[in-house]
Amino acid sequence: MGLAAREFEAAGFATVTLSMIPNFTASVGAPRIAAIEHPFSSPMGQAGDAQGQRQVLRAVLEVLTTAQRPGEIVHLPFEWTEPPNPLPGHVEKPPIVQLIKRKPWLYLKFVSGDIPEADTP
Amino acid sequence: MAKTVDSFRFLDLASRKIVKSWMEREPKHDIPWTPLRKPLAECTVAFVSSAAIALKDDQPFDQEGERRNPWWGDPSFRIIPRGATERDVRLYHLHIDTRIGEQDLDCVLPLRRLEELRAEGFVGQVAPSHYAFMGYLLKPKEFLERSVPAMIARMKQEAVDVVALVPV
Repeated sequence: MGLAAREFEAAGFATVTLSMIPNFTASVGAPRIAAIEHPFSSPMGQAGDAQGQRQVLRAVLEVLTTAQRPGEIVHLPFEWTEPPNPLPGHVEKPPIVQLIKRKPWLYLKFVSGDIPEADTP
Repeated sequence: MAKTVDSFRFLDLASRKIVKSWMEREPKHDIPWTPLRKPLAECTVAFVSSAAIALKDDQPFDQEGERRNPWWGDPSFRIIPRGATERDVRLYHLHIDTRIGEQDLDCVLPLRRLEELRAEGFVGQVAPSHYAFMGYLLKPKEFLERSVPAMIARMKQEAVDVVALVPV
């Protein structure tokens, strides 16, 4: 997301990038980062919580006026107290997780960033 | 005391190690900067989501391609028009619980919340078009060289001022 933000910013738009992993987003050079401690499937807040989502969006957009220097991270104050995955039941594991479970040595390629062209599961 | 967000709270151990390793090897970047040229209350805002959202009558993101080759991710993007809700879309990301965004689209693409902030006068306009792509892209070259420029061209046509990127 940070890489895309750089392109939009360079094209003349003021950007703000919400991030659940702000240290990583900063490492790729995103211009303005709104850091939030929310789970990946629900970055804006709880389902059905319009008021909470609105507070988050307002805080995210305010970073456009408060961030003063390229790469600045603004830490948003929101807390997540629910379990990270509130819905019961089975969700398909990502294909890469299934592959590495079968071929654990491929994990090292993932860590090192040495991404193969293909590996059919 | 002000909160400091824990970048690793919602990552499992294997993912933490990957993210830390990638961060360490990331070169130092010059960071582009476009100042906000007018008050937010006069700005047109567009969202970019990485949740692989597509309108139900649009082409789905290629999940089968990723299942065949788990190192690959679909580098294309979709337009999500202003006013879209969870009734109009599906989510095709294979790395999140897509049921949450399909239950309440504003969890991942807060279009209704943006309309409310426009009605309050907090932002000027909601752009006619918003954008979604599939964020699991280990090799983002094609996405950055084809999809992002196409989004930029459309944003310029629609006089967008501000781009808010919402990851999953």
